[in-house]
Amino acid sequence: MPITSHPSDRRRVVITGAGCLSCLADSSAGLHAALCAGRSGLKPIELFPTESIGCHQAGEIRPFDAQSYLPDRNLRPIDRTSRLLLVAAGQALVGSGWTAEAVVEREVGLVLGTTFCSVRTIAEFDRRALQLGPSHASPLDFANSVINAAAGQTAIWYGLRGLNSTISAGAASGLAAFGYAVDQIRGGRAAALLAGGVEELCFESFFGHYQAGRLCGSRGGKEADDGELPIPFDARRNGFALAEGAALVTLEDAAAAAERGAPVLGEVLGHGSGFDPLGTEESAVGAVARAVRLALEDAGLGAGDVDALSAGANGSVDGDPWEAKGVAAALGARAADLPVTAIKSMLGEALGASGALQVVALLGTFGDGVLPGIPGLERTDEGFPLPGARPAAQRVEVRRALATALSADGHAWAVVLGAAGQS
Amino acid sequence: MSTNAEEIRTRVKQIIANVAGLNASRIDDDARLRDDLKLDSLSLLEIGVDVDLAFKLELPDERYKEIDSLPAMVDLVQQRLGERTEQPAAVRG
Amino acid sequence: MKSRVAVTGLGLVTPIGAGREAAWEGLLAGRCGFAPVESFDTRAFSVHLGAEVRGFDPAPWVRRQDPAALGRASLLAIAAARQALEDAGLAPEAVAPERAGVAMGTTSGEPREVERFDDRYLAGELDRVGPEFIGLYPCHMIAAHVARELGFAGVNTMIPTACAAGNYAIAHAVDVLRAGRADVMLAGGADAFSRITYTGFARLGAIAPERCQPFDRHRKGMIPGEGAAVLVLEPLDRARARGARIYAELAGYGLSCDAHHMTAAHPEGNGAARAMERALADAGAAPGEVSYISAHGTGTPTNDRLETLAVKRVFGAAARRTPMSSIKSMIGHTMGAASAIEAAVCALAVALDRIPPTMNLEEPEEDLDFVPNAARDHRVLLAMNNAYAFGGNNASVILRKHEA
Repeated sequence: MPITSHPSDRRRVVITGAGCLSCLADSSAGLHAALCAGRSGLKPIELFPTESIGCHQAGEIRPFDAQSYLPDRNLRPIDRTSRLLLVAAGQALVGSGWTAEAVVEREVGLVLGTTFCSVRTIAEFDRRALQLGPSHASPLDFANSVINAAAGQTAIWYGLRGLNSTISAGAASGLAAFGYAVDQIRGGRAAALLAGGVEELCFESFFGHYQAGRLCGSRGGKEADDGELPIPFDARRNGFALAEGAALVTLEDAAAAAERGAPVLGEVLGHGSGFDPLGTEESAVGAVARAVRLALEDAGLGAGDVDALSAGANGSVDGDPWEAKGVAAALGARAADLPVTAIKSMLGEALGASGALQVVALLGTFGDGVLPGIPGLERTDEGFPLPGARPAAQRVEVRRALATALSADGHAWAVVLGAAGQS
Repeated sequence: MSTNAEEIRTRVKQIIANVAGLNASRIDDDARLRDDLKLDSLSLLEIGVDVDLAFKLELPDERYKEIDSLPAMVDLVQQRLGERTEQPAAVRG
Repeated sequence: MKSRVAVTGLGLVTPIGAGREAAWEGLLAGRCGFAPVESFDTRAFSVHLGAEVRGFDPAPWVRRQDPAALGRASLLAIAAARQALEDAGLAPEAVAPERAGVAMGTTSGEPREVERFDDRYLAGELDRVGPEFIGLYPCHMIAAHVARELGFAGVNTMIPTACAAGNYAIAHAVDVLRAGRADVMLAGGADAFSRITYTGFARLGAIAPERCQPFDRHRKGMIPGEGAAVLVLEPLDRARARGARIYAELAGYGLSCDAHHMTAAHPEGNGAARAMERALADAGAAPGEVSYISAHGTGTPTNDRLETLAVKRVFGAAARRTPMSSIKSMIGHTMGAASAIEAAVCALAVALDRIPPTMNLEEPEEDLDFVPNAARDHRVLLAMNNAYAFGGNNASVILRKHEA
């Protein structure tokens, strides 16, 4: 499969900053510490009532006082989704040393993954107009009802006049945004881009996922007998726990980053994707395998070069094994002893934000050699091909890591990351 | 609905404060919406919608477009409420 | 050395006709697709016109999936996608699935699904919300449904950058092909008529009461519409090797972000100008080489003024002799489909040396050539397609005449 530029004569893309908000922590350091300690951020929902729904837990970010992170500026025009993103973006910019002036001068951009942006804002806009009449619809809500609203609001807030795009691919949106951003930097269209994703928790999304039978403990809108078991790869799993989050990293052309003396937290070595148009195991496994192979090829690496896997598995009955089998098919013998984590065991499924959270968490592992475990994992399915998935955190020297995601609708994505200083 | 100027000003100020993300106490009685409060066109439109709803004025957008200050908005509300009390048939409960 | 990309197939579903030929003929004839909105009740509104696609029958196009089980934007997208593939002389089975991808743009995704959710919410009937809400509503389902219909297993990306989304999707497809990640890409945009969108634009006072008059001194706004367009893009050498009919070369693109205001463009048209300049640079062309501009031209007082300003800045003296027309004067603003439809029209303009008019133009506000009220023969070597969106997303795409 021809990839027209070889890794060795191509611009390198490094990570110079990271920011994140999740149900576990409001910093990337906090996230890594919590994950390694095996803490879960899944808890009973307070954001909206769930009495009439047979599922009650989610990865809610609580408390979330946006103004405390973003003082002295008017947040009224900004909805919850965009507020989450603004906080993560601020952290990533500060962490990578981009001053407000430099951001504007050098045209830093943003590539954002999101499934809904804010379906809550869209629905509330619609309902208010239906109840009060169209002349009393909310103009501010309408501005936030486009799916690229969060990317637009963040660009305005921080003066990000560089390349700006929004990508949607369900739970794979974040990794897809990485792939898009990396290509733009390699192609010389941007020197620096914030890349990642955001998704808020809201009743519309939660209820919808419950009615679709995708949430743990839901079976097509009916309460399951066995409770809520969003444990990735566990034989008892019965769906995922929904969550919210925002995560961005600052991606930069390596030479430009070195020139400005930026910190380097890691490198994006390659990416690849595939799609499953059939919804069968064979097709899905094939899509994941393809994504992984293409990502490794793009990185100029082989299966043996991968030191750890951060899987997007979230407790989905079908999705988890399909992803595992796809990774195993691509990695061959390496799959048998590859250390594996699935951080959605503790974070839940934050859709657009999840791929970016996987990447941010891996930066922590690069730093201290600790790969989070999968709390609650007791027993995997017969023939599960990744025995390196363990309940407890593992000590692993990780120089190159793989992050994968398989959305519920067939998008398969893989990104290969390298620790700082690895070529 | 009372047309007490002070009550109207308090309520309008609260609506503007809400859209501006400020405490009402921080808004001067003569505040200019664009120049002092730095509100953009969308926020101004939102204020018009919220004022129209709060006081049930049923005014067209054009009337709000001319408003660029708190006192002007208060005047508009008072004037409209005055118009409506003069025409009882047009007043809705 | 950037590898070159060819446009080999076009599919369109528009308010004035479905299919490349019907749509193109309608545009050249100046046919307007505005009528009182039928898909929801507009009595509570002060405006009532829309550019809906009437009498659309998905059955001939949606063969692998049940049309009744898909959202409307997906149906429009699939129709355009199948048309485009047939137009390109490519059977879906003849394409290596892993090397065939889909990149689509949209503004709203499947708005009727969330509208239906809201209706049930307000009626206290949430128990009637079934799995179809999450199964159909997310915007990425449009690209997913197209790929499912055709069995495409390669790149699958949805880029919901609102009213510029079609151009963004085309730009992404160009990148994918240039990087060698696919052998064929379907790229385009789709949007279904939406009560939410209509309410929003009405609330902003942006909808014209009677007709859409881009660039006219007395223009009163845009008219929301719906539709879809898909372009088949392939590496130029592959297209030549299989003897494909090549409409045009997708020569380059430019993106920019205003970072200024959510719903209003930068007051000096900076973002728009930058997108045009970057597209020209990417295509290796000078402004004076552009033969025709397909404008964003929504018909709102602000957009058309700022767009003209930006064109004058970028094109300088050449602006006055570069025809620029807005087909939104005929098909309204089809949101995420708009720039995809316009790109397809540019491909036809380049291939056939004919340019569509700006209709309803009685008194141009500026002294540019807006191709007033009648289509024209015109040698088109380079066509530029511009699109500007909420959130400040701007995108320009350039198509070049292909000489065999």
